[in-house]
Amino acid sequence: MDTADAADRAGAGPGESATHAESGAYASVGHPVPRSEDERHLHGAGRFVADIAWPGALHLAFVRSTVAHGVLRSVRAPALEAGESFWTAADLQDIAHPIVAKLNRPGFQSAPYPCLATDRVRFAGQTIAAVVASSRARAEDLAEMVEVDIDPLPPIASARAAFEPGAPLMHEGWTGNHFMKFTRTFGDFDAAVARAEVHLTRRYRMERLAPSPLETRGCLSVFDRAQGRLLFHTCCQRPHIQRDFLAEQLIGIDQHRIQVLVPDVGGAFGVKTNLYPEELAVAAISIRLGTAVRWIEDRMEHLLSACHARENDESVTIHANRDGEILALEAEYLVDGGAYSMLPSTSAVEANMSANVMPGPYRIRNYRATAMSACTNKAPTGPYRGVGRPAACFAMERTLDELAHVLDMEPHELRRRNLIAADAFPYTSATGLVYDTGNYPPMMDTAVRALGHGEVRAAQQAMAPDARERIGIGYAWYVEQTAHTAKEFFARGSVVLYGFESARIRMDIAGSLTIETSVCSHGQGHATTLAQIASEVTSIPMERIGVRAGDTDVVPYGNGTFASRSVVLAGGAVHQACGRLVERLRAIAANLMQVAPDGLSIGAQAVHGPAGTDPIPFARLAQVALQYVHELPAGIEPGLEFLASYRPPVETGAFSAGVHAAKVAVDIETGAVRLLDYLVVEDCGQTINPMIVDGQVYGGVAQGIGQALLEELRYDAQGQPGTVTLADYLLPGFGEVPEVRIEHQHTLSPFTAYGMKGTGEGGCIGGPAAIGNAVTDALRGLGVSVTRAPVTARDVWTALQAARARDAAGGASEVGAEPAHTWMPSR
Amino acid sequence: MNAPAPDLIDLELTVNGTARQVRAEARTSLCDLLRDALHLTGTHAGCEHGVCGACTVLLDGQPVRACITLAAACEGRAVTTVEGLSGPLVDRLRAAFHAEHALQCGYCTPGMLVSAVDLLERKPEAGEDEIRRDMSGNLCRCTGYVGIVRAIRSCTRG
Repeated sequence: MDTADAADRAGAGPGESATHAESGAYASVGHPVPRSEDERHLHGAGRFVADIAWPGALHLAFVRSTVAHGVLRSVRAPALEAGESFWTAADLQDIAHPIVAKLNRPGFQSAPYPCLATDRVRFAGQTIAAVVASSRARAEDLAEMVEVDIDPLPPIASARAAFEPGAPLMHEGWTGNHFMKFTRTFGDFDAAVARAEVHLTRRYRMERLAPSPLETRGCLSVFDRAQGRLLFHTCCQRPHIQRDFLAEQLIGIDQHRIQVLVPDVGGAFGVKTNLYPEELAVAAISIRLGTAVRWIEDRMEHLLSACHARENDESVTIHANRDGEILALEAEYLVDGGAYSMLPSTSAVEANMSANVMPGPYRIRNYRATAMSACTNKAPTGPYRGVGRPAACFAMERTLDELAHVLDMEPHELRRRNLIAADAFPYTSATGLVYDTGNYPPMMDTAVRALGHGEVRAAQQAMAPDARERIGIGYAWYVEQTAHTAKEFFARGSVVLYGFESARIRMDIAGSLTIETSVCSHGQGHATTLAQIASEVTSIPMERIGVRAGDTDVVPYGNGTFASRSVVLAGGAVHQACGRLVERLRAIAANLMQVAPDGLSIGAQAVHGPAGTDPIPFARLAQVALQYVHELPAGIEPGLEFLASYRPPVETGAFSAGVHAAKVAVDIETGAVRLLDYLVVEDCGQTINPMIVDGQVYGGVAQGIGQALLEELRYDAQGQPGTVTLADYLLPGFGEVPEVRIEHQHTLSPFTAYGMKGTGEGGCIGGPAAIGNAVTDALRGLGVSVTRAPVTARDVWTALQAARARDAAGGASEVGAEPAHTWMPSR
Repeated sequence: MNAPAPDLIDLELTVNGTARQVRAEARTSLCDLLRDALHLTGTHAGCEHGVCGACTVLLDGQPVRACITLAAACEGRAVTTVEGLSGPLVDRLRAAFHAEHALQCGYCTPGMLVSAVDLLERKPEAGEDEIRRDMSGNLCRCTGYVGIVRAIRSCTRG
């Protein structure tokens, strides 16, 4: 047993008890330690990619397609001055391969996504040419003077249009306009359907979103002639993966000649996991020019061409008994994946994930999922915080409320009837996910109590029939798969597998510690959290622990930050590496004390021996290990550097869970929705830094609220984007996000250090469903229900008008509803 | 087609208490001038069209969006950026942002601080609703605003 394990057990470690106090058991873990990252940002001294000074760096601007679909006839260069250059696809063909993202799913179709368009353009915003000049303004001037001739082709502006008979094929050699389509059946589906007493079908649409970190994309690519190496500074989430991709895409530069450097990253949320054509073009051009080239994206480019997300049309059927027991679940997802697949996640990621996680926290053994991702003339889609889960949650949880209404049950009662029981863990879901631990029913109780469910019902009863403002409540459950690794990604069909994270720790001769981590923060506070874990294992105080990340020449190989994995995997690696350090220190101390190492303990930066002996400070032990090696016995290796690559024992991840509860007021004259209360009951096991966990929840909820009420990328029938500024694409602000309340539960994972689970995405999953349910609850008596996210005032108002018009006939109206259809809603 | 030669202008302005003389293209925004000519990279460009507030600076003590303020309009005027914010109120505000986890990625933080300083100087007794209303010109994509509101509240005389 290594020392880190011993530390866990001493503190009532994982698996021993269901819960324990956040900070009671540990000295550092579980404490809301303020972040070491803050100081520089509070003084304007953060360094983002646009801030890096590089003498002589040139600036690049892209020429982009103004039409959604067309044949590229010609591109004519502007008049250039000395030192300026102009680039088209032909100039890059012998230095950069087009990007081709693949997925191992039957029927998946891939197509090349070139750095700069070749013969066809497939979305408004696609890169066609690039110009390089001495300033960004000059480069943008030149880009505007490039003459582009495109013969427009009819665009495919919706997923449904992509499948209409006679629709032109989007890519050569394809058999239809789909990236991926599959139907999978789990359990004894048909028999369960036949047994069910109630069959309820509902259709929903979740609109297309832009992840929208406040820092756009950008990179500074430096070809360093002195070393013959490419120094690629970029704002990304996965430095090593980016380096792998660059090496694969660039022709004639071996991987060891590429260094990826990631400075501060101004938010990412998934959008910075991809290798983009723009980034590849900048790298290629800087190599060709043998100099430094910078590209900083503007917001319009970001909204046009950085990966979009969601746009998921869903159809759900629940087959249940009259007592509310769900016997079978059927779901169809039709995602508008855009024109190309992003590397590496592909345009199938949304549909794939939705299908995988739909059963959520419920005991559903019979499940059929159809997932389809269509290729259209819109910007490519990819991962955005939550990936597939907000849409799955929206469809599932909205339909549960509809079922509860049909069965005349309280929505929380229906959920309780179907939640996985606490004694059923580890629980293998119908789709094969292994939920490590969970305790869901008490979370439902907490939500009902803390939201004041009974009081709201009483207030609704007491409300005047002609009241202008109606109140409603809604719940939404999700499970959050976190820190999943290679086998799970392989099972999903990923070509790139993310199996582990690494940490190298170095103790110096003063006894202070440096952690080099393979994960890459974009606001999550890794420098604080990882130091807390190291401090817990070693007793070294936080201020003596430094954390380095984001430099592929320095940090050990790993996969970076995404999919809520950093604390479990990188934290696991730090925990393991620190355990090895402590073991070495104890061995050295044991030798100096002439006792057996087993009885020695660690505390206050020293190794403590038997009673009556003086503790030996780490600095003294470091002196022996690093310099006074003559005091070291032959059996102990000198040096104090330890590399650990942590692969978790269970590869489907640690499962966090949450229930969101919203209370809204709807003004039936204007359709405006006001959030009166928003509550999150969450369980992510042992928290390392509860303040940072709360921050993840608050920030995620804000994005969920944005998705529920505001955010929507719009395209017209010609495939022209209508949301290209932050005045059109509305991010939630101070006025739209209330003071969210959080209730914690701590069900430890038996598989991870301290029993921790990831928590990066849960906050954004529940918003559309909880708010959609609350708005529907508020409007129950008026025959209006929510079927689209975002729920805009105009949608609510329109649905209410339609309901009033049909009132005499007893019709119902759906917010955001579409005409009757056979497969999915059109827009 | 040739690009027209940009007009150059000479500017004198005070930045964070120091007199500066700068030559720049007439079309240069204050944000670009601060970042590119004066190397004050704490002022961040988030949208470059006046919505997100990340580039907010004080111009003669008033908050402005540096991305849609022409540098030429700042002739003879005093600009304060996040690097130049100082004094007891600012110290308290920075400490409160730290204590309340009012920042994650840090990209919006300079603009938030500048707007918050202005708010607290104008309305030292502001309540939560007033804080949310007056800060609504600044967007944050990470924090959900909870920590920012708490931090500013903790600096009011409430």
